[in-house]
Amino acid sequence: MGVIKKLPVYLEKIPGGNIVTTTLDYVFSQSRASSLWYLLFGTACCAIELMATGASRYDFDRLGMIFRASPRQSDLIIAAGTITKKMAPRLKLLYDQMAEPRYVIAMGGCTVSGGPFYYDSYAVEKGIDHIVPVDVYIPGCPPRPESLLEGCLTLQKRVKRMKIRDWS
Amino acid sequence: MERNQLVSYIKNKFQDTVTLLESGKGESFFQIKPEDLLVFSRAIRDDERLGMDWLSCISGVDTGERFEVVYSVASVVNRIRFNYKLVLDYDKAEIESVQKIWPGANWHERELWELYGINVNNHGNLTRFLLPDNWDQGHPLRKDWDAPDFKRMPEK
Amino acid sequence: MSEAQGLHTKEFTLNVGPHHPSTHGVCRFVLQMEGEVITSVTPVIGYLHRALEKICENRTYEQIIPITDRFEYCTAMSCNMGFSLATEKLAGLEVPERAEYLRVIMLELNRIASHLIWFGTTSLDLGAITPFLYGFREREDILDMFEMTCGQRLTFNYIRPGGVSKDIPKAFIPVCKKFLDAFSAKVDDYERVLTENPIFIARNKDVGILKPETAIAYSVSGPSLRASGVKYDLRRDDPYSIYDRFDFEIPTRENGDCYDRYIVRIREMRESAKIVRQAIEQIPEGPIRSKVKMNFKPPAGEVYCRVENSRGEMGFYIQSVGEKMPLRVKMRGGSYNQLQVMPVLCVGHKIADLVAIMASMDIIMPDVDR
Repeated sequence: MGVIKKLPVYLEKIPGGNIVTTTLDYVFSQSRASSLWYLLFGTACCAIELMATGASRYDFDRLGMIFRASPRQSDLIIAAGTITKKMAPRLKLLYDQMAEPRYVIAMGGCTVSGGPFYYDSYAVEKGIDHIVPVDVYIPGCPPRPESLLEGCLTLQKRVKRMKIRDWS
Repeated sequence: MERNQLVSYIKNKFQDTVTLLESGKGESFFQIKPEDLLVFSRAIRDDERLGMDWLSCISGVDTGERFEVVYSVASVVNRIRFNYKLVLDYDKAEIESVQKIWPGANWHERELWELYGINVNNHGNLTRFLLPDNWDQGHPLRKDWDAPDFKRMPEK
Repeated sequence: MSEAQGLHTKEFTLNVGPHHPSTHGVCRFVLQMEGEVITSVTPVIGYLHRALEKICENRTYEQIIPITDRFEYCTAMSCNMGFSLATEKLAGLEVPERAEYLRVIMLELNRIASHLIWFGTTSLDLGAITPFLYGFREREDILDMFEMTCGQRLTFNYIRPGGVSKDIPKAFIPVCKKFLDAFSAKVDDYERVLTENPIFIARNKDVGILKPETAIAYSVSGPSLRASGVKYDLRRDDPYSIYDRFDFEIPTRENGDCYDRYIVRIREMRESAKIVRQAIEQIPEGPIRSKVKMNFKPPAGEVYCRVENSRGEMGFYIQSVGEKMPLRVKMRGGSYNQLQVMPVLCVGHKIADLVAIMASMDIIMPDVDR
């Protein structure tokens, strides 16, 4: 990928080179957004809704989203369910194991801010944005499958806007 | 056995050991002395008319003045159940393990040790359980427990 | 043999979880292996410990109901039920007749929904995807019914101390009847996929045999206990609500292996459907909740109350000191003891059997960790 990252630098010196860059941008971002494979990371109640979204009625696959069991094969981590203090290092580890570019969806109140366990709980992490950077927040306890789909579409829009220049 | 029969049977059989508590609401609650725990537990399991072979739950309670440990037992054969409790002072918070009688007590006792700091003798595996491995903030279910990042629900 | 060829196996440690697709949540096992064979299992729990019991000490009784939803989200209705029953006993509240019937309908529908999750995930763990799609298809129909009643799909907050929160809408009973009429054939469909499937039988038969005396000693409850031949169901043997008015059977099997646990759960779904059908036929008109004051204060006292949910015995111990908040709420879930008995079941089996045993015991983590 190193070559492609430098491509805009070389191409933009040539007249009309921009056409190649923008076309490449389009190809890469479209293909990336249409096959966001997510890591099967469910800890609590939201995991059941995540499963329901993947099952017959809501059919996640039509967005090109298929679950993977290994972080090495996935682009997206849907943190579904409460992240406790004991689990937090594991989430960080899994995130670090994913290949870039990687995205995070915080699904449910617990991952957004601690949700119903914000007060009086000594064991719950108050929001996963303390641990990993989050791209899309989906509130709800638990969010309906429709809101999860909406969240994923939002993420896809975001991925589609990405340019080669922005690659880190 | 009906509940009244059960209560009178236990009261007769274990006259010196148990006292019936008034606090049970529609349930039978007895109190026993901590030193009688093993003998009593074994006796109610082996007794033919009781046969309490099922340990539902061991609950610790911190009342703010003392600890209580409540054992909820039942019998699969005789379809009866009752509860009995121990009262422990803060400075003498230790009980005997009942694992030899009900092996399923293992985790319940580990939980008592971890969340309340009640020491369980002859347990054999009192190690970190529900809390993170590097936890060093004490026993969180005690009433006087507090920690810097612990947020209480604000009063209205 | 191995030494003669200069090969020798060494015992090694293998970590499974906490993030593993087939541990149904965040359970972790530390296994000692000798080749493929498990020699010891240590479950490590606490990855979902959310301090529910601490939270309950600082909430009023009605505020605790939504917390109990999260205690065991697969069958949130029975959590509501267990806590409400305990509170009613403590405070001496009456429950109207219609509410009792509504409760039973919801509890049994929820039991079916929970068993359908188990059915789907178990087969997913064993490598079959079709049953997962089948199971969740019918589950959505049940969730639709819940949604039209209380507006939620998973965490209901429906059964409250003294009754239920809302009456069922007019459309409920026709929808429910339609579902029940179709359901029996759907269960036949499920059975056609798995019950006589040679691969499924090979993976499950004689795997993870739980002897009745071990099951009782470890207080394993629910379908896992009944698969070992112990006919112990709290709906019958420690009756609560109005279960004594319905005619239903308690399925049992003798061997106590994974296959038997599967059969018992499948049969239980049929029995639950039977109960729901009887309940919607008998349901009377009337009020759905007795008068309960906001922030009511039960008198000082204590109570331990248990209900049968899809995983076994779910118990609530509540101690009150006459305040509007309880002094202590202890929750006891079925999986807690099922997980404790895993080391006994797994030793001597191959590692792939761990997944089959775990799935057949229907362990989920929230009611272990709380």
